[in-house]
Amino acid sequence: MKVTVLKQDLLDAINIVQKAVMPKSTTPILEGIYMEANENLKLIGNSFELGIQYTVDAQIEQTGSVVLNARIFGEIVKRLPDAPVSIEVIENNKVRIECINSFFEIFGIDGENYPLLPEDDNDLQLTLPQATLKDLIRQTIFSVGSDENRKIMTGALMQAENSEIKMVTLDGFRMAVCRAVIKDNVEFKVIIPGKNMNEILRILDTSDNPVKISLSGNTVSFVLENCRIVSNVLDGEFMNYKSYIPSQFETVIEINTRDFTESLERASLISSDVKRYPVRLQIEEDTLTIHSVTDIGVSKETLRIENKGSDLIIGFNPKYLIDALKSISDETVKISFSSSIGPCIITAIDNEDYLYLILPVRLANTR
Amino acid sequence: MDRIIMHIDVNSAYLSWEAAYRKQHGYSTDLREIPSVVGGDEESRHGIVLAKSGPAKKYGIKTGETLFSARQKCSRLVVVPPNYYLYMQCHNALLEILHEFSPQVQVFSIDEAFIDYTGMQRIYGDPVSAAHILKERIKNELGFTVNIGIAKNKLLAKMAGDLKKPDMVHAVLSEEEMKEKIWPLPVKKLYGVGHATAPKLNRLNIFTIGQLAQADTELLRFHLKSWGVLIQKYANGIEDSVVSSDMRPPVKGIGNSCTSPFDIYSKEEALKVLLSLCEMVGMRLRQSGFCAKLVSVTLRGTDLKRFSHQCKTFMATDNTMKIYQIAGRLMGEMWSGKPLRGMGIRVSDLVPCDFLQISIFEGYNEKKKKLDDTIDRLRMKYGINSVFRSCFLGSGLPPVSGGVIEGYQMMTNIL
Repeated sequence: MKVTVLKQDLLDAINIVQKAVMPKSTTPILEGIYMEANENLKLIGNSFELGIQYTVDAQIEQTGSVVLNARIFGEIVKRLPDAPVSIEVIENNKVRIECINSFFEIFGIDGENYPLLPEDDNDLQLTLPQATLKDLIRQTIFSVGSDENRKIMTGALMQAENSEIKMVTLDGFRMAVCRAVIKDNVEFKVIIPGKNMNEILRILDTSDNPVKISLSGNTVSFVLENCRIVSNVLDGEFMNYKSYIPSQFETVIEINTRDFTESLERASLISSDVKRYPVRLQIEEDTLTIHSVTDIGVSKETLRIENKGSDLIIGFNPKYLIDALKSISDETVKISFSSSIGPCIITAIDNEDYLYLILPVRLANTR
Repeated sequence: MDRIIMHIDVNSAYLSWEAAYRKQHGYSTDLREIPSVVGGDEESRHGIVLAKSGPAKKYGIKTGETLFSARQKCSRLVVVPPNYYLYMQCHNALLEILHEFSPQVQVFSIDEAFIDYTGMQRIYGDPVSAAHILKERIKNELGFTVNIGIAKNKLLAKMAGDLKKPDMVHAVLSEEEMKEKIWPLPVKKLYGVGHATAPKLNRLNIFTIGQLAQADTELLRFHLKSWGVLIQKYANGIEDSVVSSDMRPPVKGIGNSCTSPFDIYSKEEALKVLLSLCEMVGMRLRQSGFCAKLVSVTLRGTDLKRFSHQCKTFMATDNTMKIYQIAGRLMGEMWSGKPLRGMGIRVSDLVPCDFLQISIFEGYNEKKKKLDDTIDRLRMKYGINSVFRSCFLGSGLPPVSGGVIEGYQMMTNIL
């Protein structure tokens, strides 16, 4: 194998595929990045849970493949001068890396044994703009569970039906549901590990370039123009999330998203990481008082709201509200409270594109 | 400005309190002057030494050993039963006096407390004479002796109080006093140095607190990581935590266990004993103002082998029945059916009750909370057996067990 590639192109590729490489493995080949020169240069990182393949334009002088330790290869390329880099496999998988006056010869591993990514059988697939998928993930990923004992909640549900795609995450105390319209009329349901979703989120850009999602066997792949991401899926049945959404509400308010977010952020300033404190929301006719009392001090502010229900006092972990509100771009949102100890939901005023369900904190003085 | 902190420690608390109580009730012999111990009830297989008098100590009797072996060391040993209700009364009476000397009183355990004397000199004079006044008042009014340590922080105050017992006041206010009184002590006397750390320090040729204070910090960091740096600070008398009156003693978990008066064979009986322990643990948990996320159950077989299982709950709870359900499941998982001699239950991973995040799956039942609280109040007012679950009726088993001696009123404190 012998190729010449621009340093920056190569580094971009390494940075992306490296996310799928196991940092520590008992098999050295799995700590490596697979490189294959054919029509162009293809790089692969694969940890079985997540696999990423990325192609870069390169001048191919001789085809072939090799595996190089991801950490060392990455560090070398990162520090090379900004110029074309030549990579050549000489005898016994020894790899020669040259760039202007720099010269490296490092030991690689035969590429023949590298676990390549599974091919798609293209059974079920749909296409949507990258920006749309990125938004879906961004707006839901924060409420994915982290408790490894409840594996299914560490994943995000992706469900396509009736020409729409939905993402659902829930960690037991809050839930996020977002949807987008798609052109394909397919039906599928898959639970993707949250940490893989985070990596996919970073790779996606905000363009309208398409991303193809296809489901085959126990993997799901995301195909971009020069990149293919294959994630494992979680076995099991996702919670029947719709059943958690209450149908009756005591209090329904409309509130300015940004004002509310900023108020909550101010109220959390006097909370500490060591001991968390709830914020107390008091709804009285058309005012909302945001109140917090901690061992640092007290904060209080009021906001004008539109209230279509009864008065209410309720406590929340402010982070849960802030996370949800920050992912909403609408100027005004609707918040519906079922009771002071029941779930509340945050939705758009006039559509159902998103729904955030948050459980309150029991306030000591309402006991 | 340096703070002035006092550490007040009751000398052989349980025994002194019992002795003081008996003296007030006309007993002629003072338990403190004869070889005596506070011990559990041997008939119900709780026969260990809980506290000992000075003369008993001379016989080499240790806290925690069996009464049987204690009697072998001293045949005329007097054994008195524990009386937790009395201890709580003494504890509260002590706190009342302490509050007169400073508004900042931190309870550290049933027989220990810190007060922040800073700025109180105008009322009670210099700290050493104030401490003497305090000590004498406790002796005269309550009938037991205390040790008082005075220093610029809690750490040194506690160490000073431990210097020589009983009935003493020790002040370690200046650097020189610290070097003179604290530094020659063996390193294992230092707060934070236990039986694991002490041998490690000894291997580094550090035997006294002074040697630790002057040791090379990097050497300590290398061998003991950040812990080494911390204990060296302690050895130099550097510690600045506040005396905080609303700070309860640092609780990490709450547990109760019991040794059953007879061996347990049936699952039904085992579950009842478990429930009676849950009642106690639940009650103490609620008193402490915490909810727990982790429940663990320990079983002890007749061969004295222990085994335990634990389970993390999704939502923190302080509900007796919920703890019991989890505990019952854990017991079912691990019990082979071999006869049991005792069992224990412990809840930990505590979160303050004023931040109880409700979960999607479980919801929150206000009524259950009210029920638990009401039962707690009834029991505290009218005694532990004033309300009990009907499954205990005629079972011969106590409806609440662990930490309570039957016939006495409730301890109304998490201590």
